[in-house]
Amino acid sequence: MPDDTTPTKTEYSSALAPTHIQPMNKAGKWFWLAIVLLAIVFSMGVGGFIWRWQSGWDDRPAWGYYAATFSFLLSTAQTAPLISAGLRLVAGPWRRPLARPAELFAFVGILNMLWFIPLLKVVPDTQHRRSIWFDSPISFQIWETIALAILISCGLCLLYLASMPDIAAKVSKAPGKQGFPVPLGLSWRGNPHQWRILKLGLVVLGAGYIIFLTFQQTIFASDFGLSLVPGWKDALFPAYHIVSSLQAGTALLTVSLFLLRQWGGLKDYIGLDTFKGLGRLLLVLTLLWFYFWWSSFIVFWYGRRPEEQLLLQLFVSGPIRPLFTLVLILNFVLPFLLLLWSPIRKSIAGPVIVSVFILSGTLLDRIRLFTTAFSVTESGEVIKNLPPTRLPDTADIFILMGGLAGMALTYLVATRLLPVLSYWEITQGKILESEKQFGLRKVRMVAKPD
Amino acid sequence: MTDKQVLGLCRDADTTARAVEALEKKGFSGNEYEILTAIPYPEGTFGEKPGKHRLYIFPFIGALCGFSAALLLTIGTQLFPPLVTGGKPILSIPPMILIMFEGTMLGAILFTVIGVIFESRLFGPKLGLYDRRITEGFIGLLITASPERITEAEQIMAGAGIADFKHSLTGGNNK
Repeated sequence: MPDDTTPTKTEYSSALAPTHIQPMNKAGKWFWLAIVLLAIVFSMGVGGFIWRWQSGWDDRPAWGYYAATFSFLLSTAQTAPLISAGLRLVAGPWRRPLARPAELFAFVGILNMLWFIPLLKVVPDTQHRRSIWFDSPISFQIWETIALAILISCGLCLLYLASMPDIAAKVSKAPGKQGFPVPLGLSWRGNPHQWRILKLGLVVLGAGYIIFLTFQQTIFASDFGLSLVPGWKDALFPAYHIVSSLQAGTALLTVSLFLLRQWGGLKDYIGLDTFKGLGRLLLVLTLLWFYFWWSSFIVFWYGRRPEEQLLLQLFVSGPIRPLFTLVLILNFVLPFLLLLWSPIRKSIAGPVIVSVFILSGTLLDRIRLFTTAFSVTESGEVIKNLPPTRLPDTADIFILMGGLAGMALTYLVATRLLPVLSYWEITQGKILESEKQFGLRKVRMVAKPD
Repeated sequence: MTDKQVLGLCRDADTTARAVEALEKKGFSGNEYEILTAIPYPEGTFGEKPGKHRLYIFPFIGALCGFSAALLLTIGTQLFPPLVTGGKPILSIPPMILIMFEGTMLGAILFTVIGVIFESRLFGPKLGLYDRRITEGFIGLLITASPERITEAEQIMAGAGIADFKHSLTGGNNK
C-alpha cells in the first residue's frame, strides 16, 4: 500500500524518475520463445561437437570450423566490453547507454572458456613449429587457458562492479527490504567516497581489460593461426586480428543496442546520439581494418618469393578467392561506402545495417583464416603444397550455428541476471545536461566535472 | 553511550549542501555525517571534504606480486630439472616474458578488485538507516552521533530546509 509520505513520480525531476528500474523486470513471451529457440539451436551445436569429437582429435582440418567459431566469439562478444571500457576512459557522454549492454557480453566469456578447452587437444605442441614460445618446453596450453581465464575474470569483475549500484537499487526496492541494500554480500551505501572509488576502480579495470584482450588475441592468433602454417611470417597478423575484432565488437554492440531498443523496451534510454557515435567509430575502424590488411598483404604480394606466392594463394587468391572477395566487400567496401555519407552515418538504421555486413564479413573472415590454417598439416620451414579447401559438412554447420546461438542465449540469460542498462550512469548523464538558448537556436550543454 | 542515527531526506543538492554547511558550522565532523545518493554527484557538490584513499597503490602491489610469482615459477620450472633443448640456454626469456606479463596483469586485476572492495568498505555487516526513496532520487543525509547531538543535528537540518526524517530507534517513516 502506498505511503502518503512517498512523493509521486511528478515530484521528482524527470532525470531521477523512479521508473528507471522497471524495464529490467520485464520479459515477455517473445523473450522466452527466443530463449527456447536459441537453446534448441545451441543443443544442435553441442550435437555437432559430439559428432566431430567421435572422429577424434587427430584430424586437425576437421576442427577448422570449430576454431573459426571460437575466434568469432572471441572477436565479437569478448571484444564488446572493451568498447565500453575504452569509451569510459575518454569520458564520451554518448557512451552511457551502451556501457552495460557492452559489459554484459563479458558473460559470454563463460561459454568461450568451455568452447576453447577442446581446441587445446587439436593443435600440436609448439616445440616443433615456429611460435612465440620459442621451442620452450613450457606448455603453451596451460598459459593460453590461464590468459583466457584472466580475461574472462577481468570482464566479469568489471561487469559486477559497474552493476553494483543498480543491483543495490533493485534489491532495496524489493518488497519487505529495509536497511542498506546488500547485493550479493557487499553493502553498497552510495556515499561520495564509495562513488569515487568505484569510478576509479572501473577505469583501472577497464584499462586492464583493454591491455589483456590485446595480449590474449595476440597469443591466440599466433598459436592457432600463424604458427600452424610453415613459412607464414607475418608480424602484423595478430594486430590485424585485434583491429578486425574491434570492428566486429563494435558492430555486435550496435546490433545488440538496436535489438534492445526495438524489442527490449529501452527506446527512451538508447537514442540517436549513441548510434551516431557508434557510426563514427565504425567508419574509423573500417579504415583501420583495410590499413592493417593491406600492410600485411603488401609484404607477401611485393616479395613474390615462391613460398610467399603459395601463402597468398592459400589465404587470398587461390580456391579461397570467392570467400576473400566477400570478406573484402562486407568488411571494407560496403561499410566504407555507406558510412561515408553523413545521413546514413547519423541515423539509427545506417550503422545497424553496416554492422550486419561487418558481422557477416568477420564470420567469413574467421572461416577463411582458421579453416585454412587448420587445413595445413605439413611441417618444415616453408609450405610446399596447397592443402585442399575444406567445405563445411553437417557437423560444421551445426557447430557454427550452435556457437552463434550459444552467444545469443548466454547474453539473454545475462540480461535476466543483471540490470540491462547502467541506470546510474545514464541518470548522472541526464543531470549533467541542459539546454541553452544560443542565438536563434537551442544547444545542448554537457557538463564534465570529472 | 550508544550512538544514534537520524536520516534526513532532501529533494535537491542545494538543500543538502546548505544542511552540510550548517552542520559543519556547528562542529559536526565528516565522520558524523554521511551523504547517500543513488547516482554519483560531482565531487564537492555538497561541500563534503574529499576522503583519502589508497586505491592507486593496489594495482601496483598486485602487479609486483604477480610479476614476482611468475618470475619464480618460470625460473623454477625451467631450472628444476634443467632440460637442455637443442643446445639453447636453459632459461628461455621470450616465453618467460609472456608468462610474466600474464602474472603481472593477473595480480594487478585481482588487487584492483580487492582494493575497490576494501577501500569502499563493501564488506561487513554495518547496516544503518536507509530509505528506498534514496534509490529513487532523494538525497540522504545520515547523522551518527550521541543522543543529545542527534536532536541538535535534526534541528540544524530542519533549519536548512529538510522536512523528512527517519530515526534509528523510533523507526521513523520506514519504507
